[in-house]
Amino acid sequence: MYWAALLLDKPSDAASPHDDQLHGLAVWALQWTPRVAVVDEAVVMEVEASLRLFGGKRRLRERVRTEGAELGVAIAAWAPTSLAALAFARGGVEDGFARPLQEGLDRLPMDVLSAVEPHRPTLARLGCQSLGDIRRLPRDGLSRRFDKELLGALDRAYGLKPEVHRWEVLSESFKARLELMSRVELAPALAFSARRLLVQMCGWLAARHAGVSAFTLHWAHDSMRSKSAGTGGALTIRTGEYTRNLEHLSRLLNEHLAKTTLLAPAGELTLVADDVEPLEELSDSLLPDTVRQGETLREVLERISARLGPERVVRPVMTEDHRIEWAQFWQPATEKQPRETSTVDTPQPTWVLPEPLRLAVKNHRPMYQGTLQMLAGPHRVEGGWWHRVEDEGGEATRRVQRDYWVALSEHAGVLWVFQERLADDIAWYLHGIFA
Amino acid sequence: MQATLALWPEPPPPSPQPTPPQAEEGAPASGLPAHVEAAVWRGTELGAAAVKEVVPTGWAALDEQLPGGGWPCRSVTEVLQPQPSVCEWRLLGPALRRQVAAGQTIVVVGPPKRPHLPGLRNAGLDDHQFVWVQADTPAERLWATEQLIKSNACGALLSWLPQARPEQIRRLQVCAAGCEGPVVLFRPETALHEASAAPLRIVATFGLDWELRVHILKRKGPRHEGELHLPSIPGGLDAVLTPRLMAPSRLIANRERERADVLGSATPRQAVRRRVSA
Repeated sequence: MYWAALLLDKPSDAASPHDDQLHGLAVWALQWTPRVAVVDEAVVMEVEASLRLFGGKRRLRERVRTEGAELGVAIAAWAPTSLAALAFARGGVEDGFARPLQEGLDRLPMDVLSAVEPHRPTLARLGCQSLGDIRRLPRDGLSRRFDKELLGALDRAYGLKPEVHRWEVLSESFKARLELMSRVELAPALAFSARRLLVQMCGWLAARHAGVSAFTLHWAHDSMRSKSAGTGGALTIRTGEYTRNLEHLSRLLNEHLAKTTLLAPAGELTLVADDVEPLEELSDSLLPDTVRQGETLREVLERISARLGPERVVRPVMTEDHRIEWAQFWQPATEKQPRETSTVDTPQPTWVLPEPLRLAVKNHRPMYQGTLQMLAGPHRVEGGWWHRVEDEGGEATRRVQRDYWVALSEHAGVLWVFQERLADDIAWYLHGIFA
Repeated sequence: MQATLALWPEPPPPSPQPTPPQAEEGAPASGLPAHVEAAVWRGTELGAAAVKEVVPTGWAALDEQLPGGGWPCRSVTEVLQPQPSVCEWRLLGPALRRQVAAGQTIVVVGPPKRPHLPGLRNAGLDDHQFVWVQADTPAERLWATEQLIKSNACGALLSWLPQARPEQIRRLQVCAAGCEGPVVLFRPETALHEASAAPLRIVATFGLDWELRVHILKRKGPRHEGELHLPSIPGGLDAVLTPRLMAPSRLIANRERERADVLGSATPRQAVRRRVSA
C-alpha cells in the first residue's frame, strides 16, 4: 500500500479549510487513483496500483508535489497506511518510508492522530508526549481507561488493523467554485485564481479520460458593486478540439481575460466544463519518437486568434468560380475546412488586390510604375449574372465581363490587368500580381 | 550592387586578402588532427558545417552559394526587396513545394496583399496547408511571428516586417534556434545598411527576361560578388508563353525605340499646332 496524505495550506486565520476546497482537491486527486478519501482536514489517496502508469514512485511524488502546489497543497506525505500518512503530514515529515513505520511514527508528537484529541489532557498527565509513549502503555489498561477509538486508531495507523474509507466519487459534471482572497478589480488578475480552478478541471478530466472543448468562467461581483453592474459576468472559451492540456487552456484563458473588462470588482469565481467528450489516449512508444517539441499548430493558432480575433487568422477555401473575387474566400483557421477543392488550370496571379485598381492610360497604354508591356491575352472571364446581391440602390448582379492580360512592368513585376468588355470608357484595371 | 560597395569603403580592401593567407595556411591546416580540422570553419569557406538542416532552394546555382546548400532551418533568413509583393513566391516556391509535399503547413504573417490560392497552387502550395495571419501593426506582426516560431509547428513561416528594429530581429533569431522549418522575414531594401542578426541576408529583385536576380548580402562564408540570375517563370505562365515572349526586354526595347521615333517627329509639331489653333 502506498498512501499519500495531502494537507492544504492553512489560511492566515487558522480556520479549517473549506469543504469546497477539500472537495476540489479530492476531485483533482482522482486523476491519480480511484481510491481517494477525505479524512478530517486532509485528502488521502492510495496509489500503489498507479505507480507504473505514472512512471514510478519518484516521478509520481514529484508530479504530485509540483502540480499540487498550484492547488495550495502545503505538504504531501507518503506512508504505508492512510492514518500514518496523515500523521506524517501533520508532523511535517514528507517521506514515511525513510525508516520503518513503527520507528517513524513513534517519534511523532501524539496530537498528530485525531483520536488522541479527546484524551490529550489525561495522556499528558500520564507523561505521554509522542505516539511511542502511548504505544508503550499497557494495552489492556489502555483499552479499559480510554475508548476503543484510540486503540483502534493506533492499530490502524501502525498497520495492525485494516482501514475503512468512504471513497470519493467523481461527479458527472464539473463545476468548481473559488472565493477570492481579495476583491479583484482587473480581469487579467483573475488569471491566477482561475488557473487553480483549471488545475482542478484538468484533474477531473484526466480522471474521466475526457477532454473539454468549451468551458465557462463565471465571476460574481462583490456586494459593494454599483447597481448598473449586475451580479456578475461570464466568459466562455472554446477550443478547436477536445483537450485537457492545462498550459494551453490556461494560455487561452489569459488571452481572453486580457481583453475583458470587469464592470465591478469580483469576489468569487466559478468554473464550469460545458462540452466534455471522452478523449482518445495515445500510448507511449517504446522507442524515442521524433515528435516535435512545443505546441501544435492548432493550439498556437487558437492563441493568436484569441488575441487578434478569429477573423484575422484565416485559411482559404476555394470555390468553383472564375471570377477572381469569388474564386476563394477566407474562413477562421479554427473552423473545419471542406475537403474537396476546385481545380483551376489557367494561369492565376499569386497576389490579388482587394479592389481592382484603375490604371492611368498614356498613349493608349496603361501605366503602373512605368508603361506596361502586354505579354499574353486576352483571357476572357465572363459570368456572374446569377449572382444577385442586395445593394443600397436595390438589387444588383455581380456580373463581370473582363479581358485579362498578363502585363509586364519594369518595376512592379508581372501583373494581371483587365479591361472591361463592352464598357463605355475603355479603362484598365490592375487586379493581381504574379509574384 | 555598385551603390552598396560605394557606401562601404572599408570592406573591399580586406576581401582580396583572405585568399592569399588561405593558400599559405594550407600547410599548417593539414597538420591539424582530423577531428580538429573537421571542427574548424575558415571565413573563406562556406559554413557548410555550421548549417546542417536546410531546404533546397530549387536552383543549383543558388544552392551552391548558400552555406549548407539551401534555405537554412533553425535560423531566420532575411529577404530584402526594393518593393514588396513582387517576387516572393517565385523565389520561395520550389522550397515551399517541398515542405507542402511533406505535409506541413505554410503560415504567412502580414503579407502586403491578399494571397490568391488558385495562383499559389501553381507555385506548389495547397489550400489545406496555408494559414494567413492578418497582423497589421508592427507589434502584432512581431508577436505573432514569435509565437509561431516558438511553437515550432509550421513547415515554413513567411513574415513581412517592414518596420523591424535590429534588436527585434535578434530576438526572433534566438527563438528560431528551436524552429525546425525555415523562417523567412521580408524587409524593405532600406534595411540594407542596418545591422541584422540574421545569418543569411538576401537582396532579391526580378529581371525582365523571366529571371530573378539574387545577391547574397550576408552569409556564413566569403563575400558574394555580383548577382545570381535564376530562371523563373511564375506558376502557370510557362504554358502560355510563346518563344517571342521569352525575352520581354527585347519587346520593351523595341517599343522604346518606336516611341523615340514618334516622339522625335510628331510630338513637338503637335504642340505647335495646338498653340496655333488656340
